[in-house]
Amino acid sequence: MAAAVKIEDLHKSFKVGFIPKTKKILRGISMTIEEGEIFGYLGPNGAGKTTTLKCILGLIFPEKGNIEIFGYPYLSLRAKERVGYLPENPYFYDYLTASEFLHFYSQLSLIKKKEKEEKIHRFLRLVGLEESVNLQLRKFSRGMLQRIGLAQALIHDPSLVFLDEPLGSLDPLGRKEIRDIIVRLKEEGKTVFLCSHILQDIEMICDRVAIIVNGEIINQGQLQDLISEKIHFTEIILSGVESKELEGVGESVSALGGKILLKVIEEEKIETVLRIVQSRNGRIHSLIPRTETLEDLFVGMVKQG
Amino acid sequence: MKIRAIAFNTFKEAIRDRILYLLLFFAAACIIFSRLLALLTVGDRVKIIMDVGLASLSLFGAMMAILMGTGLVYKEIDKKTIYTLLSKPIHRYQFLLGKYFGLILTLFIMLFFMSFIFLTLVFLHTFRIEWELLIAIFYIFVEVCLLTAVAMLFSCFSTPILSSIFSLSFYLIGHLSWGLENSINKMKPGIVKTLTQILYAFIPDLENFNFKTEVVHHLPIPSEIFLFSVLYGIFYSLFLLFLAILVFRKRDFI
Amino acid sequence: MKKKVVLLILILSLGAFMSLKVKIDKISRKKIPGSSIIYIPSGKYLKFATFGYSSLLADLIYLWSIQYYSDYSVVDRFKYLDHIFSVIAELDHRYLDPYQIGALIALYEARDLDLALKILDRGLEKNPDQWIFPLEAGHYAQMAKKDYKLAQKYYKKAMEIKGAPPITKRLYANASFKLTDYKTAFETWQEIYQTTEEERIKKIASNHLFQVKAAIDIKTIFEAIEKFREIYDRNPVDLSQLVKAGLLDSLPKDLDGQDYHYDSKTGEVKTQTIPWKR
Repeated sequence: MAAAVKIEDLHKSFKVGFIPKTKKILRGISMTIEEGEIFGYLGPNGAGKTTTLKCILGLIFPEKGNIEIFGYPYLSLRAKERVGYLPENPYFYDYLTASEFLHFYSQLSLIKKKEKEEKIHRFLRLVGLEESVNLQLRKFSRGMLQRIGLAQALIHDPSLVFLDEPLGSLDPLGRKEIRDIIVRLKEEGKTVFLCSHILQDIEMICDRVAIIVNGEIINQGQLQDLISEKIHFTEIILSGVESKELEGVGESVSALGGKILLKVIEEEKIETVLRIVQSRNGRIHSLIPRTETLEDLFVGMVKQG
Repeated sequence: MKIRAIAFNTFKEAIRDRILYLLLFFAAACIIFSRLLALLTVGDRVKIIMDVGLASLSLFGAMMAILMGTGLVYKEIDKKTIYTLLSKPIHRYQFLLGKYFGLILTLFIMLFFMSFIFLTLVFLHTFRIEWELLIAIFYIFVEVCLLTAVAMLFSCFSTPILSSIFSLSFYLIGHLSWGLENSINKMKPGIVKTLTQILYAFIPDLENFNFKTEVVHHLPIPSEIFLFSVLYGIFYSLFLLFLAILVFRKRDFI
Repeated sequence: MKKKVVLLILILSLGAFMSLKVKIDKISRKKIPGSSIIYIPSGKYLKFATFGYSSLLADLIYLWSIQYYSDYSVVDRFKYLDHIFSVIAELDHRYLDPYQIGALIALYEARDLDLALKILDRGLEKNPDQWIFPLEAGHYAQMAKKDYKLAQKYYKKAMEIKGAPPITKRLYANASFKLTDYKTAFETWQEIYQTTEEERIKKIASNHLFQVKAAIDIKTIFEAIEKFREIYDRNPVDLSQLVKAGLLDSLPKDLDGQDYHYDSKTGEVKTQTIPWKR
């Protein structure tokens, strides 16, 4: 499959402070986003996620590096026509109504006149805002702004969609709706580039991820590859046994009200635990084998960096 | 055309800005107040009304241009509405030109209303349509267009307050630059004189758009100056706009 | 848009507007820059309208007026001279230069003595402590129209103001003399003679006293000669005849005690010495 976005050795520094000191944000980012996949971009605050995104979109100019979108130079109009973008905490013109707003943006993307009206209504319905067609944007809540932002990003039928924290200001139901929309985009053959802090969502929908820490990509690849590399551990909740007797068998994560949450890494040790509990006449409340979540991976990587 | 889309969008935003109506109110108040002032003067009353009226149009037009122009680009950057806009398939210069023409359209409408009030008042006094006043008003509009270009240029890299101060300075320099001419004439020929002459040609001469005196006194205006003044306004505005485009081209939006 | 294109348009438009500016400057417009000043209403409203910046405005208008009146191309620039300077006076009546310069322009450029005096009068009226205004007014009256009566009046006014220079009094005395108001002239010169401490001034005063006394005496003698001629149909042979005829009580002598010189053929009476060569 062709590459939707190809980034090679991206560098960017900013001059910060009253006496300008150069601060290096991106230290040679290289990534490839394949067509038709949902790509997750993760990193702690200040790592350079948004900077990378803005470089790709032509809002910031890198000092070094090469970016291609669908094979075209990334700043060309051809490339931009195929791109949709939803920024973090979007803010739009106060005095326009939802309909006027989408009208304006569709004019910039050269959507044909006869299709405009129909498309506007379709996308408003898609993001759940058909009631607010004639409501002025200044009266929109954060969540509503997020949705209309998404509508604006999708209205011109782009092949590549960049979403920066799209699930941020939404309630759980809203998040589910948006997740479904993103998955549907993939089914339509679109490519989605997703920046998010909410790792559970990333885990649910992304195919591939990249983790950026301090301006460098420390890990990227298929989600299942990255996670399944990690060793499982088992969480056991038990009672009736003293913590010291469990030393060496597992890590006691917490002890509350007589119950101990034990983290056992080696599979063999599980049997040891069971025997100890049995011999003390204790109780096993639950035994859950846990695969490492993306969060664990993430935290681990960040701590390393 | 994309510039047109942005222009109309800017127009829609600008026309709903309350500052415009506040200034419009004050301009109307001044024009009507001139009626009262006319009572104080000995002699030709209509001339006072014309003078005050044209001065109001000029002053409030300038204020609108500066106050709205300085926020034009800055607001978009500050509120981050510019992000989605520039990620669309448009060139940055199209964005700037669109904002400019949108504001010009808005100011044209505002000037139109102010002129209407003014000309009506004059008509009520003279019972005659004073076509010459339209000449003065047209050139006020040209001056306003130039001021908008300046304000927008500063708006690209400076906060509204600083931009307003710079734009206001531009306005004042533009109206006082003739003073430099006297000094130049008294200079001895040499490199300092030549440099000053070059400087003098560069600094704005907003008096080129000031036909208020001639119109009110019914003085003859040499015909060449009509064309040259308009061209001067157009080229100076063009210069400022393209300077803004140059500044804006490689700007990082952090 | 390519950078080169932008730069090209930038340079072209720069060149265009700069050359247009040069061209426009060459076109002479019938400008009366600042002619709107005519429509600034006079009267007390003006000061209120300027929100406390009236003295600054006075400065600016004054500075403008100097440029304006230096520009000889504006042919009818004196039309509003009075108005402009009255406006300046209203805005800042204690600003002294404009009164003097306004009067100067009025007299020397517009050749209007009455206006010059009017401006100076206004200056004195608003600044009663300024002796310079009546002094200049007297000077102008004397110089431009040889109107010694007016000059005398002004010098008197100036004299009475504290701080007026001594020359004022001398000018007053002189003007009085020219007006043939010999009594005042003599009294004034006497005062000057008695009060001055400078030798030079004393000498001047003494010479003037000599001259005034001579004028008075010669006048008296002439009147006597006239009467003599009416009676005797001829000039007296010498001045003692006038005394003998009873037309004069005594023969007046000049200040130095010398007799007056009389020419019986022409009937002329003169002093023997010229006042300045004493």
